Amino acid sequence: MGALLPALLSLLPLLASAGQLTLQSPRVTITGPDASILRNEPLSLAHPLSPPLTLGTSDTLKLTFQILQKDSGKGVQPHQTFLRFHDPQTDEEGVQPLRVSSTGKANFELNLARPPVSIPPTPNASVPLHVTLIIGSFKHSPLSQPLFDLYLPVSHAAPQHPDEPMYHPLSEIQHTFRPDPQTPYVIFSAIGTMAVVAPWIVLLGLWGSIPHRLPHLSHPLILLFVGLLASFEGLLFWYWVELRLGQVLLYGAILGGVTVAAGKSALAKVGRWRVGTA
Amino acid sequence: ASTTQSPIEALWISYNATTPSRLKLIDSFLVFILLSGAFQFLYCILVTNYPFNAFLAGFSSSVGQFVLTASLRSQVNPLNRSQFKDVSPERAFADFALGSIVLHFFVFNFLG
Repeated sequence: MGALLPALLSLLPLLASAGQLTLQSPRVTITGPDASILRNEPLSLAHPLSPPLTLGTSDTLKLTFQILQKDSGKGVQPHQTFLRFHDPQTDEEGVQPLRVSSTGKANFELNLARPPVSIPPTPNASVPLHVTLIIGSFKHSPLSQPLFDLYLPVSHAAPQHPDEPMYHPLSEIQHTFRPDPQTPYVIFSAIGTMAVVAPWIVLLGLWGSIPHRLPHLSHPLILLFVGLLASFEGLLFWYWVELRLGQVLLYGAILGGVTVAAGKSALAKVGRWRVGTA
Repeated sequence: ASTTQSPIEALWISYNATTPSRLKLIDSFLVFILLSGAFQFLYCILVTNYPFNAFLAGFSSSVGQFVLTASLRSQVNPLNRSQFKDVSPERAFADFALGSIVLHFFVFNFLG
């Protein structure tokens, strides 16, 4: 597999040159309304046609060519053949599909008495349309061949779509964000802390004032159980400051098992004391 | 009860006289939780709610603990024995302890 890829890559240049197209004897003719020939010239693929073509309102432009494969010289009927008219100033364009015979021969006639829909508007008399031949084929590499520049009679400019201003960029939004929240002054935090600690004083005061008896508090089972509950709280505090979730769940499971065992025996003892059987 | 006493005074005197001391311990704990939650809420309104998750964690710990303690008190109260036939006071305390630990775990998680 490692040796296959370079071998395939080395074949790519062969594939690229295998399918190159070229035009044979491209010729453009302009005839006047009385069938007089105004211009009749072959097109060169390397140099642009000069002077550029001018078409009057009642003249006829005729373009003929044959598409050949470069290496073998055989005629080719490609899958897509288009003639592109492009206005370089307004960037309007029109694309005209051409019909090509099976031997590769094509011809195209342009008469402004019946203009095809693909001609773009020419509002400026001094700007010609660039005419390009575009060929696309599955079996060959594509071809984009500039042919000539064409001056057409002046027409109205392209109408502006009523929704076009909707696509203009909007003005930049100026947004002032709310300032970040800050911790309040120390005095407020101190008052708040004292306010939260104050209920503890209330609780201890109330517990002290209630006359109660806890006769069994010093029993070892009770102390063990209460101590394990306190250690559970300590584990949760340790989780808050340092532990990760997996660790606290593991330690909590272990501690919970021990606490449940201690609690069962402690609470059973308390139940027996309550009932009176001890 | 003399007729010059207000209903609130009568309630207080009756409460003091009839409530067992164990229940009074639990009641003072409930008062503590109430005050704690109220002060946290006042601080949040008056000063700042800046670490909002901290306020939520603290306040919900007050509320949750209050609910757990209130249910413990109602299950342990000897006057409610008929309602809680299959829940012994020891079982109620075990439930209270377990619920409190789980509540504290979630509160510490949210405290951040």
